[in-house]
Amino acid sequence: MRNDALNGQLDPLILATVAEEPAHGYAILQRLKQRSAGTFDLAEGTIYPALHRLERDGLLSSSWSMQSGRRRRVYRVTRPGRSALQVRRREWKSFAQAVEAVFG
Amino acid sequence: MTWLDALATELSARGVPARQRARILLELRDHIASEPGCEDRLGDPRMLAVSFADELATARARRCAFGSFGALALTALALIVSQLAIGHAGGYPGFTNGISLVLFVPALLGMFVAPQIALVAGTLAALRAARRRRRPHLPAAEIGLIGRRARVALLAGFGTVTGLALYLADFSQRLPAWYLGLVGGLGAVAAAALYLAFSALRHAQAIVSGSDGAAGDVYDDLPLIAWPWLRSRPWRLGAVGTLIIALIMTLFFAHAEHSLAEGLQRGIAEGLAVAAGFVLLGRAVGLFPAHSEAVTPPGQLAIAAGLIADPEDQLAGDDDRSRAELILRESFGQGRLSLDELTARVSAVHDAETVGQLRDALAGLPPQR
Repeated sequence: MRNDALNGQLDPLILATVAEEPAHGYAILQRLKQRSAGTFDLAEGTIYPALHRLERDGLLSSSWSMQSGRRRRVYRVTRPGRSALQVRRREWKSFAQAVEAVFG
Repeated sequence: MTWLDALATELSARGVPARQRARILLELRDHIASEPGCEDRLGDPRMLAVSFADELATARARRCAFGSFGALALTALALIVSQLAIGHAGGYPGFTNGISLVLFVPALLGMFVAPQIALVAGTLAALRAARRRRRPHLPAAEIGLIGRRARVALLAGFGTVTGLALYLADFSQRLPAWYLGLVGGLGAVAAAALYLAFSALRHAQAIVSGSDGAAGDVYDDLPLIAWPWLRSRPWRLGAVGTLIIALIMTLFFAHAEHSLAEGLQRGIAEGLAVAAGFVLLGRAVGLFPAHSEAVTPPGQLAIAAGLIADPEDQLAGDDDRSRAELILRESFGQGRLSLDELTARVSAVHDAETVGQLRDALAGLPPQR
């Protein structure tokens, strides 16, 4: 899928991925790719500005932890992050239903 | 040069602060270590650095606008307390009773003119920041405008606390010690807050953002005044604003002093001050419709000061050239370029040695990211 299709949707997709389980950047990306069966073709580095942005907006929080001998920044969803995700989910569902109804 | 080194260079060229830089590099080092050889899929290090810098500059500019507004609120508090408490301190000492007019005149300017500038510029800065609070990144020109407004407001705030200090000094032998202590203490707290806000602003302005776009003007802040009659007519707006404020001041003082002559005198003085402020500071705080070319984005200042390498002179890489070529071909497909132009520009891209030359080859095309 073209990158523009992802425009504006990367943030909620990341939120949804992190909401399942706290994770570091690489793991979030893997999960995102796995879930979408490789549909989203994005410059993988862009996930990091997005993570930092979500953290600045208070939707994610993060801390360093030691995993497999490396320092990793692990992200988790905050309470405002969860409610933002719910709102986006609802919006997306009604949008998708409407598109489907039109396309048939 | 490895991918990570390239990212590190690009991040520091854009003035991303050391702490953020260290974190970004650690995270990406871990990413690459998790899957050696995945650098190609991470994307262009320059584009990544640009998006980090743009978003950081935007977030910082917003925070500085609100921080400045907070520091100015403390300044306003000191000023208000100084006026409310003067009644308990024996009323206004006549201006002839002070130590010297050399202290009194600047004190008066600081306490009456500076707060009005601070109020207008500080409110405009915070208003724009609030209206754009959901945007992950703003045009460099707009970030520059928010920064200039905050800077003008903070400088006027410094003028206010200085005026207050001069006033206290002038009447230090007339006013009671408790008044000097109370107002002086509040003024000192305000001065400290202003200083903190000012140094945060200076740090924020060191980050280079590169997004194109207009800075916008006062009509973007106050859509209510964007009637066709005032829209894009800043001089008319200035004249109307001056008249309204002068009228309010006239009525207020005519009522307070029970004298129309006294009121008119104050009103006219205020009107002149507002008009002067509009002429002198209108462009800096974005009251005029912006000419985005004339606006110097904050990063340009750092470049001019020689603090960082000028990106224009940076050597272009093969990645840059192929991206530029892609943009040209897309523009050709969109009908923006003729075949001849395309051929000429593509060969200019192939010959380009610096980023500046690449940019010249793309001149006139809409930004594509």
